[in-house]
Amino acid sequence: MVILPLTKEEIEEIREILGREPTQEELAMFEAQWSEHCSYKSSRLLLRLLPTKAPYVLVGPGRDAPAVEIFPGTAVVFKIESHNHPSAVDPYDGAATGIGGIIRDILTLGATPVALLDMLYMGEPSNQHAGWLIRGIVKGISDYGNRVGIPTVAGDTWFDKSFNRQPLVNVACVGVADTERLVLEGSSPGDVIIITGNATGRDGILGSSFASRPLAKDADKDIAAVQVGDPLTEKLLIEVIRELTERRMVKFIKDLGGGGLTTAVSEAASDHGVGAEVHLERLHTREQGMTPLELLVSESQERMMLVTDKGRLEGVLKVLEHYGVPYSLIGRFDSSGRIRVYYEGKLVADVPAKDLAKPRAIKRASSPPPEVLKGLKRAEVPEPESIEDAILSVISSPNVASKKWIFEQYDHEVGIRTVIKPGYADAAILRLLDGSARGLAVKGDANPRYTSINPFRGAANSVAECFRNLVAVGSEPLAIVDELNAGNPEKPQHFWFFEQMVKGIAWMTDELELPVVGGKVSFYNEDELTGAQVKPTATIVGVGRIEDIARAATMEFKVAGSKIVIVGVTLPEIGASEYLWRVHGLEEGEVPVPRPSREKRTAELIRSLISNSMVRAVHDVGTGGIAATLTEMSATSGLGFTVDLSKIPVRAVYRIDEVLFSETQARYILEVPDDLVSKVLERAEKFGIDAAVIGEVTDNGEVRFVKTGKVLALLDLSIVRDLYFNTLRKFLEVT
Amino acid sequence: MPKVAVIKFPGTNCDYDVAWALRVADGLEGQVVWYEDFTLSGWDAIIIPGGFSYGDYLRAGAIAARTKVIEKVAEAVEKGLPLLGICNGFQVLVESGLLPGALLGNESGSFVCRWVRLRIERPRGPWMLLLEEGQELSMPVAHAEGRYFIDEETYLKELLNSPLLRYAEGFNPNGSMYDIAGVASRDGSVFGLMPHPERASEEVLVPRGYSPDGKLIFQSLAIALRRGW
Repeated sequence: MVILPLTKEEIEEIREILGREPTQEELAMFEAQWSEHCSYKSSRLLLRLLPTKAPYVLVGPGRDAPAVEIFPGTAVVFKIESHNHPSAVDPYDGAATGIGGIIRDILTLGATPVALLDMLYMGEPSNQHAGWLIRGIVKGISDYGNRVGIPTVAGDTWFDKSFNRQPLVNVACVGVADTERLVLEGSSPGDVIIITGNATGRDGILGSSFASRPLAKDADKDIAAVQVGDPLTEKLLIEVIRELTERRMVKFIKDLGGGGLTTAVSEAASDHGVGAEVHLERLHTREQGMTPLELLVSESQERMMLVTDKGRLEGVLKVLEHYGVPYSLIGRFDSSGRIRVYYEGKLVADVPAKDLAKPRAIKRASSPPPEVLKGLKRAEVPEPESIEDAILSVISSPNVASKKWIFEQYDHEVGIRTVIKPGYADAAILRLLDGSARGLAVKGDANPRYTSINPFRGAANSVAECFRNLVAVGSEPLAIVDELNAGNPEKPQHFWFFEQMVKGIAWMTDELELPVVGGKVSFYNEDELTGAQVKPTATIVGVGRIEDIARAATMEFKVAGSKIVIVGVTLPEIGASEYLWRVHGLEEGEVPVPRPSREKRTAELIRSLISNSMVRAVHDVGTGGIAATLTEMSATSGLGFTVDLSKIPVRAVYRIDEVLFSETQARYILEVPDDLVSKVLERAEKFGIDAAVIGEVTDNGEVRFVKTGKVLALLDLSIVRDLYFNTLRKFLEVT
Repeated sequence: MPKVAVIKFPGTNCDYDVAWALRVADGLEGQVVWYEDFTLSGWDAIIIPGGFSYGDYLRAGAIAARTKVIEKVAEAVEKGLPLLGICNGFQVLVESGLLPGALLGNESGSFVCRWVRLRIERPRGPWMLLLEEGQELSMPVAHAEGRYFIDEETYLKELLNSPLLRYAEGFNPNGSMYDIAGVASRDGSVFGLMPHPERASEEVLVPRGYSPDGKLIFQSLAIALRRGW
């Protein structure tokens, strides 16, 4: 009944491993576990390039989620996941179950989930199909995240026609735990395997293999591979695991995610060098007559594997019964090194755990497609006739405008940790809620346009953007996780983008000393109709630590009369910019040069200014350049400004559109109290960073750009605010 | 020290937030109680916190309102114990008939999470000792089903003779009739509201331009339990 897309060579290899013909069940297990989604067979060799170590990294890549020690004795567990394929077929359930899965990854280490992030790269809001996907995705995340009581505090969005039919839905979850509470014991022979949570059904059969190939032309045929979420059960699992880990009653926890029971058991066994004996008929199921094969590879949601020893088993079961969460005892680990699966007493699969868990890595061919030449072109466009129109066009871009329509649908406050809420700053800040003033900052970033034009620089810049966002709120960036969304790895001209993105991240994180502690890879993101890959996208989620949450910086202007200071030098880098796209309809040109050493020095300056309370507002310069950055600081505050563009430190810039819209890296804009300006400039000089006063905050309801006295653009703040806050809503609200 | 029961249903998610807010607002001890374990004795007040009881797959609060624990809660109310329902807790109180009216899906069709300004009328009873007539308060809302609905007769007869919490002009987030954000029994001992006072009980959680007024509700209770109301 199931079509098995294992290759001939793979089937031959399985025969060699077993020394005989595999059974149907065994083939399904290999198929699930050797799928790209579960095995990383195409990506593993390249992912080794990423730096993963730092003294504070407690758990690196390899487990369901990594952990870093953010403060002595306190761990942050965080992870990213994609649900691109399911969300293309069924946006509501696809996105919702993405949230469910990433939360369970955090639970496996025994951490308390405290925040969710969603990084959504979606089609044009004006496109009918894309609009339907966007609304469904946001509602799916809203309904699931809100119900489980974890705030969705930050994220990232991008709108582009290449995502009209295949969106990228990347979600991340952040958890906290006392380092001693982390569940790291592992499984050993004799330990009992408990499967708890939802009953197993026929949904999501071989969903990982579905995610490891392009969508079918008739995507509705894939609907059986999409799972449906049940946030109430997820919420109960959170309660159960909180209690079990507080009382140290389990040795090991694993999510039944991609690959279902097969993946959970085989990875748990092979990671700890043990084997397992599993009795499938003991599994609690949702429907009658499920075959052993279906039970092995079903991806029904909200299921987890708990491992404990005989001594603690009774206590674990008591907790499960108290919360009314169903469970089944399906077997135990042993020292055989083999996974032996029985169904009603009959042996249906008997495979070596190690061979099942890790297929041979594949070295994929890679070659740059001719289209990348557009990234080498110098963008030559005429200066815009009206600077005012150009500014309005950039700030009303869905990529720049406020994402209020999205984040207001998420409960971003439950848990009473969210100190800096969505829309107020470059990153969200959560307090630890341990009575101290300490907290953590989180943010997710990507720029699909950059990575599609120059994947190396684009991915490096995504890391830098995330780094700056964490710095701009006053935190010290500690570590990142990445999600690499790419095309078909079997096509060398697709795989080249993946390879370049990995190398870009590896280089930048190495330079910034920012370990990549975990991540995911999603291949086969192609338009179902054309076979073209969607824009390859490197999504970065970072965490930072902050000693005193009360000192965190936000981006909105605070006081009329404050001075506006720019930090960093501006170069003529309008290639691949939002300006070039919005005003000239071009997606080409040189992606801005990543500048790691300057990023580092500038970050130190910004953090020292924030921790010494020398600034009133901080905002990093990103998409849309200085024009977008300033108008965002203004729109979110209701205060206007006047800025003299001739005062901006530049190099080789001769045109006003280059000053306004260049996306040169390593820049920030600050609001500084009048009496501290000279001190701020002195400090910048000491750090060897260009900085200059470029204007001041006003309360006359105007946004004003001048050049040596001459007014270049004068905009009514109420119009700016309306465009900034309502653009997205107008496209997406159904009336 | 007075003890406050914070009742937890499957799917409740603001239980620990409320317990924390009770403690930081005025040193009250809030104890999270699993709904099946709740007994009448030993409590000085009861709070039903926010969340999605039983997933709210049917209608917000509908299933929780029909559990045995709500019968016990009703008994407690007859004995004069102060009862507060926040968000999903308010939905439960309305569904169970402990407060009048109904809460329908938001006019926008979507969940909404944002800070709002509110105004209190006829404050009285244990939850409002520190509030003054017409006082403006700020707190955040976070709900999908918060559109308050009431027949005109009950509105005129009951609500206009009881404490009433309204969204200030321009802040109605859900299309509630008469801008109603919260209603109470005549004596104010039973109070239900959609906004979350526990999220507005500490300065550090308040965005610029608003104030931590939720704590006034918990501080009122603390005073009421010590000195009566």
